[in-house]
Amino acid sequence: MIFEKVRKTFGSTVAVHDLDLTIDEGEFVSLLGPSGCGKTTTLRMLAGLEEPSGGSIRIGDRVVNSVPPAQRDIAMVFQSYALYPHMTVAKNIAYPLKKRGVPEPERSERVRATARLLELETLLDRKPAQLSGGQQQRVALGRALVREPQVFLLDEPLSNLDARLRAHMRAELIELHRRIGRTMIYVTHDQLEAMTMSTRIAVMNAGVLQQFATPADIFHRPANVFVAGFIGSPVMSLLEGELTRSDEGDGTGPFRVRCGALEVALPAGLLDRSAAPGPISLGVRPEDVLLGSGAHTATVGVVERTGHESIVRLDARGTPLKARAPGDTPTATGETVRFSLRVERLHVFDAATGNRLNADAEDR
Amino acid sequence: MNASRARTIWSIVAWTIVLAVVFPLIWMIVTSVKPQAELFSIPPTLMPETITFEHYRRLLTETPFPRFFRNSMILAVTTTVVVVALGTLGAYSLVRFKYRGRETLATLVLFTYLMPSVVLVIPLYLMMAKLGLANTLASLVIAYTTFALPYALWLLRSFMTSIPVDLESAALVDGASRIGAFVDVILPQAFPGIVSTALFTFILCWNEYLFALVLVNSDSVRPLTAGTMNMLITSFNIDWSLLMAASVMMSLPLIVIFTFLQGTLTKGFGAGAVKG
Amino acid sequence: MHAAPPSSLEKHYARIGVVLIAPTVLVFCAVILYPLVSAIYLSLFSIYTPTLAGEWVGVDNYTALLASGDFWSAVRNTLIWTVGTLILQLVFGVAMALLLNQSMVFRSLARSLVLFPYFLSTVVAVLVWRWLFNDLYGILNHVLLIAGLIDAPVNWLGQMPNAMISIILVGAWKYFPFVVIVVLARLQSIPEQLYEAATIDGAGPFQRFTDITLPQLRDVLVVVVLLRAIWDFKEFDLIYLMTGGGPVGATRVLSLLVYEEAFRVNRMGMASTYAVAMMLVLLGFTLVYLRQTNRLEEG
Repeated sequence: MIFEKVRKTFGSTVAVHDLDLTIDEGEFVSLLGPSGCGKTTTLRMLAGLEEPSGGSIRIGDRVVNSVPPAQRDIAMVFQSYALYPHMTVAKNIAYPLKKRGVPEPERSERVRATARLLELETLLDRKPAQLSGGQQQRVALGRALVREPQVFLLDEPLSNLDARLRAHMRAELIELHRRIGRTMIYVTHDQLEAMTMSTRIAVMNAGVLQQFATPADIFHRPANVFVAGFIGSPVMSLLEGELTRSDEGDGTGPFRVRCGALEVALPAGLLDRSAAPGPISLGVRPEDVLLGSGAHTATVGVVERTGHESIVRLDARGTPLKARAPGDTPTATGETVRFSLRVERLHVFDAATGNRLNADAEDR
Repeated sequence: MNASRARTIWSIVAWTIVLAVVFPLIWMIVTSVKPQAELFSIPPTLMPETITFEHYRRLLTETPFPRFFRNSMILAVTTTVVVVALGTLGAYSLVRFKYRGRETLATLVLFTYLMPSVVLVIPLYLMMAKLGLANTLASLVIAYTTFALPYALWLLRSFMTSIPVDLESAALVDGASRIGAFVDVILPQAFPGIVSTALFTFILCWNEYLFALVLVNSDSVRPLTAGTMNMLITSFNIDWSLLMAASVMMSLPLIVIFTFLQGTLTKGFGAGAVKG
Repeated sequence: MHAAPPSSLEKHYARIGVVLIAPTVLVFCAVILYPLVSAIYLSLFSIYTPTLAGEWVGVDNYTALLASGDFWSAVRNTLIWTVGTLILQLVFGVAMALLLNQSMVFRSLARSLVLFPYFLSTVVAVLVWRWLFNDLYGILNHVLLIAGLIDAPVNWLGQMPNAMISIILVGAWKYFPFVVIVVLARLQSIPEQLYEAATIDGAGPFQRFTDITLPQLRDVLVVVVLLRAIWDFKEFDLIYLMTGGGPVGATRVLSLLVYEEAFRVNRMGMASTYAVAMMLVLLGFTLVYLRQTNRLEEG
């Protein structure tokens, strides 16, 4: 599927800006971003429920901008499930087949097979109102699956479920994708879902695509400040600072970073050759802040203990940082500690553009 | 004041008023079963001393009343069918489609409230005369459609806006055309609303007077409203017993609808009433 | 590689939408456009109703209207009627809605019964009330006599100011359930928690009414007042059947004036002139209504 310079405007609001995206067959792609970032609009354009204001969308080698949803060989699971309230589960699942003219008894057979796959057999005669949230969700999935389409679109299907069920369904969906191997496009604002389920993630913000890469790349090499601050739990600490260049001759690289009272020398080769001194944002993941010993000192603020780990908030003489420590760390509020940073894992972003200055940054 | 005492007080106050409001109707029924002689006794008796159905018998056998009833039935049912059919399609169009002039149309619907029926009646009278439809039931069906349709649209619109858009989107993705989605999803979901609207339209047509008065001038075509009032005017003495019996019979459909479907009627009305 | 892209999907849908509403538009042309144009057109003629023969008189009808005593007294009557019955409808309607919102026995039955007058045919309502108002045999006079409130039977429909009072009362009886339905629906949608919070904060029943109930009702009441004002202003059936405009034109409202001019005096042109005047006044009301509902939707 190819999005080429796709734009969508509603009145005077631009929901999606010049989107260029190529999705390969069989992928599981997540559209990830905060609410209002344009991910649902993009999905709906793919489904045919919205028409792009500009650009073209291709499925296979067909331009589908004006093709009605019914003719796109696409199935969709809605956030609200959108089950037909006046039809039984069996009829709900059978509906797409009916619309395509699949005759009995093949229709019932396929409905039953899908129901078996999703463990819905005992519920076939019930109406949606009589089902629990998880069951409704599976019916919505079944209705999408029964048609065996080329592409599956899922619009935040897990957001109405409670946390435990959500975790369970995540695993189920991963398994499902593995089994049927078709392309799945998944919209979510939950980065955990995106990270665990996708082959690639498209991070969007305010209608603009920020980065399209594998989960690993997104985590380790965020392309800009937005992506860096969006992914990771707890969130990366982003510090404003200054990039300077000097030659110490002590084995470290020419670049140094100063954020408030914190000064760090960056290893050689960390930054791209094109990097120039100036204002930057420094990204530090909590797991890259090592407590106990090191060249820096800080006062300990709030400590959140979750049992298996602790999130320690530090104040390094005016510069706030978060550190991840093992659960039984003795560190207490008010203490002064020493810490060091894993400098090879630091992320440096240009303060003006937000773009990644590290040498390993790939083109978006 | 504790809750159950409050409940008693409210019950007494409310029911007193309700009974006062409903009293004229009770009196109507009581009068219709009193023998003529008792009718004019002074002081009037609250409860009839003897009950007779003489007046009903006379109404049904000696007056054109049955004809009026039949006319009203045909008229109201036909108009309701036409109005509900047009209204459902029109409401769907207004609610789910985007095209130029849609907003203007919606405002125009409001402007129909501007039209006093007295103003409408003159051009309609002329139009029916020109079409050769003067003094026919068809002319009334057309006339009634013109004023019932705006109300039906108003009610149906409010019912349809409460149906989630996702349901139609799902149907479209599942392979339905727009019309298919309408038949498979909207119609079943809007069904209670359609029933409410149909009942409301029926009552509207059943009760209408002015158009029946002006557009029709022979008893064979007259509906109940104009026919009954005509019986009043063309006789020397006003036969109140007969008229009360006629009133009771005229109110029959209303009573039937109310007994079985009061909930649906008021729910729909209340919901649609405030939204323009 | 491909043929020219098919016409836009949105355009295709738009076309379907237009087709669906076309019959309705046709009807509306008959209801709005045609009568409006007709009325204005006809008002420039002098037409003899039975033969429909007419001749052009230009604006003569309008000058006659402004000078006509009949017209202005009809306007006055209409205003008295509208304001009178509207106030009663409002007061009784709101009071009843408040009552019916309380806990009581057989509440849903009470709610249904109270609606009867509204859905009753005007013809039936008029017949029943004329019988009730009957000076000799009507039960109203009888009850009042027994209660000692009057010492001779009252002629309700043949004397002024009784006639106007009578129609105002019957109008209130017939139409107040509309107010009840709308206000009750609104009352039921006020969350109980608002009242609970106020009670915890120490508000008494009267304060709860003024601080919570009334503000919530305000929006709905504005709409109800405007709608009822428009509909009461237009009313024909009730007044025509109750008093016929009498005694001696004392209850002749604008709608009756139009009817009489067209079908009694047989001057269809002049009737149309009155009709146009009436529509202009209603236009004023409707514009106010539109502005209010738009403001409510935004606010």
